[in-house]
Amino acid sequence: MEQKNSKLKLLIGGIVLVALIAVMLGIYLNSRPETNAGSKNIVVEVRIPEEDSKEFKINTDAEYLREALDEINLIKGDESAYGFFITEVNGRTANSDNQEWWLITKGGEDIMVGVNDIVISDGDHYELTLVIGY
Amino acid sequence: MVKSLKLKDIVLIGMMSAILVTVQVALSFIPNIELVHLLIILYTLVFGRKTIYIIYVFVILEGFIYGVHLWWINYLYIWTILYILVHFIKGKNSSILWAIVSGFFGLGFGALCSIPYFFIGGPSTGIAYWISGIPFDLIHGISNFILTLLLFRPLYHCLHWINQHFTT
Repeated sequence: MEQKNSKLKLLIGGIVLVALIAVMLGIYLNSRPETNAGSKNIVVEVRIPEEDSKEFKINTDAEYLREALDEINLIKGDESAYGFFITEVNGRTANSDNQEWWLITKGGEDIMVGVNDIVISDGDHYELTLVIGY
Repeated sequence: MVKSLKLKDIVLIGMMSAILVTVQVALSFIPNIELVHLLIILYTLVFGRKTIYIIYVFVILEGFIYGVHLWWINYLYIWTILYILVHFIKGKNSSILWAIVSGFFGLGFGALCSIPYFFIGGPSTGIAYWISGIPFDLIHGISNFILTLLLFRPLYHCLHWINQHFTT
């Protein structure tokens, strides 16, 4: 009887686990921002410490920031299992020996997704900032 | 009353922490596929309270290797939560049970990691952080389930043998 009960508990645990996977998948898919088709104008500002910042105005039909940046060859980087990691912006390479890395913000606010998943809209302003220190 | 550690315990804690670090570093190139959770479950079942020492030696060593960042703050409580969880469930050595527990832990890992973001940027930042990491949590949960199902029994017997022959 006790063995039957414990098997039932395991079965319930397994079902709840599968249900949780489905719920999380649903939350993720439903919370993804809708992309915007058509032409849009965005501004990308490149900020490097102790240098004047540079602004790039991009007119694009791209739906994600990565595509828009690639259209003007502004960034280079490495594909990794965690997504695309920006290593170079406008010819300036982040030197990892000096703990340099590129931070993307939108209107000064942190963005929680990688460059491949940033959905762009007309009038967006992004900042690519060279940060020193991890 | 807190029992003082014997020399054998200190050696054991050092060895088991070294195994944790080695396994973590060896699998670090695959995102969210890890054996740390399984080893902590096994350590808790086999070595009991000594696992707390093992966890914090591991966390300190991780800080030395990768530097102290926000994820390191996560490590300060995440593995201890797993230890406490295992303590509550403790008693049964069914690989399916521990595979299910591992699956839940993997799925909840991102939610646990998002806690500091609730304090730093408020609820919207915490929720955004959690949602953006859901694909990794799904990989984590499913891989935890499979790895634990496959490896729980052999590793349990191995650690049980070490415990019987080494610490007595």
